[in-house]
Amino acid sequence: MNLVQLGCTFRTTPVEIREKLAFTEPQLEQALREITARFGWESAVLSTCNRVEVYAANPQGIRPDPYLLREYLAQFHNLDPEYLGQYLQIHQEADVVLHLFRVASSLDSLIVGEGQIAGQVRDAFEIALRVGSTGPMLNALFQYAQKAAKRVRTETGITEGHISVSSVAVDFVRQVFDRFSDKTVLVIGAGKMGRLTLKHLQELKPKQILITNRSPEKAQALAQEVHGQAVPFERLDDCLAQADIVLSTTGSPDPIMTEARYAPIRQKRGARTTVILDIAVPRDFDPNIHDGERTFVFNVDDLTAVREQTLAKRRSHLERAEHIIREEQRKFLEEWTRRKHGPTIARLTKFFDDRRQEILQELLARLNGKISEKERRDIEGAFRLFQNRLLHSPISALVESARDGTSNQLLESLKRLFQIGDEK
Amino acid sequence: MEVTHLCFGASYFLALLGELGRQFRPEKGFRYLVIFSGCAGLLAHTIFLGVHQPSPAKPYGSLLLLTWVLAVFYLYGAVQKQPRPWALFILPLILIFVAISFAFFGEGASFGSWFSGESFWGQLHGILLELAAVGITLAFLASVMYLFQVQRLKKKKILSGRLKLLSLERLEIIQRRCLDISFPLLTAGVLIGGIRGVVEIFPKANWATPKIVGTVLLWIIVGLLVYLRHAANVSPKRLAFTTIIAFVLLFFAMVTAHPFVLEGK
Repeated sequence: MNLVQLGCTFRTTPVEIREKLAFTEPQLEQALREITARFGWESAVLSTCNRVEVYAANPQGIRPDPYLLREYLAQFHNLDPEYLGQYLQIHQEADVVLHLFRVASSLDSLIVGEGQIAGQVRDAFEIALRVGSTGPMLNALFQYAQKAAKRVRTETGITEGHISVSSVAVDFVRQVFDRFSDKTVLVIGAGKMGRLTLKHLQELKPKQILITNRSPEKAQALAQEVHGQAVPFERLDDCLAQADIVLSTTGSPDPIMTEARYAPIRQKRGARTTVILDIAVPRDFDPNIHDGERTFVFNVDDLTAVREQTLAKRRSHLERAEHIIREEQRKFLEEWTRRKHGPTIARLTKFFDDRRQEILQELLARLNGKISEKERRDIEGAFRLFQNRLLHSPISALVESARDGTSNQLLESLKRLFQIGDEK
Repeated sequence: MEVTHLCFGASYFLALLGELGRQFRPEKGFRYLVIFSGCAGLLAHTIFLGVHQPSPAKPYGSLLLLTWVLAVFYLYGAVQKQPRPWALFILPLILIFVAISFAFFGEGASFGSWFSGESFWGQLHGILLELAAVGITLAFLASVMYLFQVQRLKKKKILSGRLKLLSLERLEIIQRRCLDISFPLLTAGVLIGGIRGVVEIFPKANWATPKIVGTVLLWIIVGLLVYLRHAANVSPKRLAFTTIIAFVLLFFAMVTAHPFVLEGK
């Protein structure tokens, strides 16, 4: 295949090096043009915050030299090639296929099952396609990678659930409420974490957002930012009686809401359900307020526990995902070999066809008039069957040889054995 | 070849296996399996009903008709791209009903009774009660799912994974709407049955039969549920438990013999 991948990931390379190797989009286009112009290889570059990888292929010539690529990368980013070399990993031939498929399927990601990487691989391919640095090899490889990623995504549960605490918090809210156009969100405090969760809650389009803070200025500022309504902190209990979803994120050292203080609020809310997302540390709400029927309190520990469970669940799908990746790798290699060796297989088949016809014509000429039409057809059929069975093994071996990288030797052997030269 | 309970029962069972597989391994094969087996089950079920026309006044007949409607609901969910976790709640109920109707099948089965031997009011009485039964059964399923979901949220359990139920609010709405629709149907059905019983059939008959007592109790419970839902501040958890009691009464009323319907009529 003459396929090479060179790159670094978060697993082996510190962020200081990764950021030096990262490409902006214009840089990436420039690099792709230069690699193609300088070496004549097909190329694509995947540059994300967790990895920088260069893919190069030269299906019609000799295999791309990874050390030349390393030199080029070092030169491009003004780094010492020897120093850079200790961080770079090299994959060749079928290993490149497996590696890219794993990357695209997020099996090699920091958070297994994250959804961004598939899009980043697609973007890397589209940029290379736009620049014109890809060819038959990389076109096929990246298309298969996207297919493999899609299969992993749809046939396993590896992408299920949310990982960020703010997304998990909103997940809990969605498990309780269905409609948000009639719901009131109350935000207590204005912590950084709270803002992120509030952003997610805002996407649900609630009826109104109330914001309260010990500092009225901060409440006012946040209210303006999210198109909410600032309310004095002294009216906290009234606001709690009104709110369906509470997001608490104060920096208070003591709980701001005890069970006793919450009892009259619960009374006022009657049969209405309340979800309290207490993501403050230390906690703002007494955990005993959670009754699991009308009032649900989820604190940081609960949200983190769900996050860990989700990750564990995703990891439980790894085996199946790896199996799919191997299957797709095999399909790709077989398809590529079939495409590459198609002309050879055609010549081999023609060689046998010609020999069969020679022998058959001679035999039929000798038997002319002594056999019936049916017998003649039977003899022809038997010869054809014999030829097909004879060819089955070498053709299968040729297709399968792509897996262990021995297809070139086998191809040479077949050419010599059956005297089928290269296509002119 | 005759279509039997086994044909659609086995198809629904296969659909249940497919749904279980679909919840945990989202492969296309499972989706096709549930659609195919669900359709096959419903087709066989429809043919069976069409051929036998079992009397809704008989336990096996009323159960089979109710199951048929539930199967239609199920199939609607089965054809959706995303697996619907409520399939795992509705299919076992369908299978239980099919099994029970099969158990009652041998006991004085009367066939071909849909369009003959029954007055307009008798037919209307049966249809109204059957529709009310559908509503109460769906409210029951929503209640079971509600209790399951509320338990998960109480324990703050993982929400990811395939078994993602509807939200508590949605389940409450389904439960409420089903009961709101069932109550007038049940009331009209009971009234027609009562008037017909008094005026037309057996003025001096024994009214204290299990079916009549069960149905009246069911009417009271469903009425109470509608009242509590709209007029009183009762926790939805209690309402869910009460709906389950209503369903038990419905089941009891369905599997007991109708006092005014004679064999073969």
